[in-house]
Amino acid sequence: MKQPLETDPVIAAYRAQVDRSLLRVNLRLTPAERLAKLQSALAFMAELRQARPTIREAPSTER
Amino acid sequence: MDPDFGKLLPALVHAGVEFVVVGGVAAVIHGAARVTYDIDLVYARSSENCERLVEALRPFHPYLRDAPAGLPFRWDARTLSHGLNFTLTSTAGDIDLLGEIIGGRSYEELLPQTAEFEAYGVRFRCVTLSRLIQLKRAAGRPKDFEAIAELEALRDEDIRSDE
Repeated sequence: MKQPLETDPVIAAYRAQVDRSLLRVNLRLTPAERLAKLQSALAFMAELRQARPTIREAPSTER
Repeated sequence: MDPDFGKLLPALVHAGVEFVVVGGVAAVIHGAARVTYDIDLVYARSSENCERLVEALRPFHPYLRDAPAGLPFRWDARTLSHGLNFTLTSTAGDIDLLGEIIGGRSYEELLPQTAEFEAYGVRFRCVTLSRLIQLKRAAGRPKDFEAIAELEALRDEDIRSDE
């Protein structure tokens, strides 16, 4: 059985906040699927970056 | 520009480039739920490998990231061999090419702590989770603390799945 690495208090504090459910979902994927998921997230964020000016320029709904 | 792994990794592998994936993309390969905007690669510094790397990336028009427009930059093996670490932007995304990683580790020194992975129809080497944690710890950057915590949690989960 592998042994966990020792950790320091600062990292331990962060570690308590890690959303392990996300990690468990990822661990059920293959490495290729994990990369594809990252690629998809990057594409989504690129879309959002392009959408930003459109929101700013939306016409006012005030009468 | 965001990395296009489906273009980049096959191009490198098909050209026979000796490289190891490290950094944020390596973390994702191991299961991290973290978004990263560039790919960090440790490459072998032999002149043959520099030639292969240059040819593999040439179709993606690599250029120094965040450099002033018009700055002369020639993408060739001479440039690569005269430098060491390069932060590049390209049509296949942002790429950090590292001749050495923290602690002066070269590709050859890193190789025993890597594992082979398959994606996009090619096999390539990525640093192991344990080594990735060690590298992040050795870097000692506060911005990495949260990432280290996540990697250690991944390691815990991996240990649990082995029990």
